[in-house]
Amino acid sequence: MVAASTGLGLLIAPKWGNSPVDLLYLPPVLFAASLYGLRPALVACVASALAFNFFFTEPVHSLAVHSPADIVTMLMLFGVALVVSQLAARIREQARIAAANAARNATIAGFAGRLLSCPDANAIGAVTCADLSSLLDANAVLFAEGEMVASVPDDAQLTPADVAAASWVLEHSLTAGRGAPRLNPAEWLFFPVKSAARTLAALGLARGDGRPPVSDERLPLLESLLDQTALALERAALEREMRDVDSLRERDRLRGALLSSVGHDLRTPLTAIAAAAAELRREDSDKALVATLEAETATLDRYISNLLDMARIEAGAVRLKCEPIDLVDAVSAATRDLHRSLAGRSVTVDLPADLPLVRADPHLLHHCLINIIGNAARHSDEGAPIAIAAFRDPDGVRLSVQDQGPGLPDGGGDFDRFAHISGTDRTGGAGLGLAIVKGFTEAMGVIVAATNRPGAKGALVTLTFPEPLVLRDQQEADGARV
Amino acid sequence: MVRVSKILIVDDDKHIRVLLKTTLARAGYAVVEAASAREALNAKGIDKPDLVLLDLGLPDRDGLELLSLLRADSPCRIIVVSAREETEQKVAALDLGADDYVTKPFDSDELLARIRAALRQQAPAPEAQIVRLGAVEIDLERRSVRRQGEMVHLTPKEYALLAALARHPGRVITHGQLLRTAWGPAQESQTEYLRVVMRALRQKLEDEPSRPALLINEPGVGYRLQGD
Repeated sequence: MVAASTGLGLLIAPKWGNSPVDLLYLPPVLFAASLYGLRPALVACVASALAFNFFFTEPVHSLAVHSPADIVTMLMLFGVALVVSQLAARIREQARIAAANAARNATIAGFAGRLLSCPDANAIGAVTCADLSSLLDANAVLFAEGEMVASVPDDAQLTPADVAAASWVLEHSLTAGRGAPRLNPAEWLFFPVKSAARTLAALGLARGDGRPPVSDERLPLLESLLDQTALALERAALEREMRDVDSLRERDRLRGALLSSVGHDLRTPLTAIAAAAAELRREDSDKALVATLEAETATLDRYISNLLDMARIEAGAVRLKCEPIDLVDAVSAATRDLHRSLAGRSVTVDLPADLPLVRADPHLLHHCLINIIGNAARHSDEGAPIAIAAFRDPDGVRLSVQDQGPGLPDGGGDFDRFAHISGTDRTGGAGLGLAIVKGFTEAMGVIVAATNRPGAKGALVTLTFPEPLVLRDQQEADGARV
Repeated sequence: MVRVSKILIVDDDKHIRVLLKTTLARAGYAVVEAASAREALNAKGIDKPDLVLLDLGLPDRDGLELLSLLRADSPCRIIVVSAREETEQKVAALDLGADDYVTKPFDSDELLARIRAALRQQAPAPEAQIVRLGAVEIDLERRSVRRQGEMVHLTPKEYALLAALARHPGRVITHGQLLRTAWGPAQESQTEYLRVVMRALRQKLEDEPSRPALLINEPGVGYRLQGD
């Protein structure tokens, strides 16, 4: 190009003089600078200067320079070559970086895409190992929860030192193993695979020839790829959790269906039996037998209620629906439901008119009282009195039920043990009933205790509604009355 | 001649229907049976029963839905019979217009008492009534209450509650219904007000306020004025 410019210069110089000729040397210099960098540009520059000097400056055909204008022209050519080549070099470098970034992003995106189609941790491990192995030209293993999840090649082996290094990485979330500052007796180099919250796995890399598996400049890429693996592993864990929750919910639904079907299917025949017994009584057949039929039916019904309640407690399905309750209501409803078992017995009820309201679930409290009062009736002689009383004390509101039966074998105290006393022939089902009292009171925050009556024969069961369950005194609520 | 009340039994269990039929027939009622919601709606149209004994657990339709349908066109008393113990279910049934509910397994005598109470409410002109319950006499027209012949002074809220119960003696009125009547819809969940006023009423009207025989509570559901 320098030669071409010289030829062209020789053609026009005789006509227009030398001034346009020096500009003719710019294209070759610019061209060399932008395409080939600084060195070729300088070469072009020197060649141009020499050619210009030799062919056009006075004295022509010698390298001597006389005119200061020619010296300036040559210096300008050098300057242009320098600046343009610098600019061009910078642009080329940026293009190279952009291309590298694009390649890197394409690698990450492709990797993330392949991870997205993985249904579980094993598949994620397999994709991670396969991709990293081919990308880095190294063997790869993924290690999580104490074992190898995936590897390339398939039969890769970990030595105990490798397992130790991998476990250390899982615990400390730092690189370790061969070539790293920590745990370097290992054959593999392990990198943590971590999410924002925790380290999910360790990725091991090794090369057959023992060279470091990752060059420093590829480390950022590796880290980005491992972040993708971490995201995928987290997603898989979440999905698994959701599936677990779904199956739990399904199980609860089935159990709920079973409970209500037991309730319905057992009760319907019982209703028929009870009604039939009532008919028989009217038809004046064997009264004693019919009375037994009725009594046993009632017992069976109570037993089914208790079974259902127990199943609800065990299933954690006790739903509280608390409201302000007047213990007068609670006690009268329970004694009304128990009127058969309490027939012919004196039941004294001592509830002061200024007793505060308490907060409880009416249904659960009802079942507690039925069990406690029913138990008192079952354990004491026919006709023996039962005393129900409530009072305000510094701890809250206490409701007590006393009977005159044999009392508790060891003086009571621990309701848990009381609740598990195995029944004699007369106390059948008591254990279950009291376990329900325990479960329901616990659910409501009511404290239950069972002791023997001080200085007398009989048991004393106390429900204590602690202060938070006691509503403010009645007078203050009187605004409601007007 | 006394008109015989007709009762429709809606229950999918055959044995229960047979037994109820026997019990009710012996008590002097005419009885119609239905085993499904469809049969029940047919029987309601054709036989025009005075009272329906409705089991909520029917195979072909939700019991509460059927309850609304049965209430829809012509007046008839409905007593819900259900094995379900959930109080929500009972409250929902009562709020939808059921007159009473009985939980399975029920006592035949108790069921008959509830049926009598429900049918009695069909007597005309309830506003002109004087309700007598033991020693207590409630004059709904003059808004006055006497106990053993003595005038009892009640606050407006106390009277409002008592009157709401006395208009339907023996029938359960839910907490929500009572609160709406006496305090207005905004106070519907203020069960505490209800308890306080109920206690005051018992102090004034019951022989033994801590063992009420007149103002009866159904746990979690509502109150009834004991009819018999």
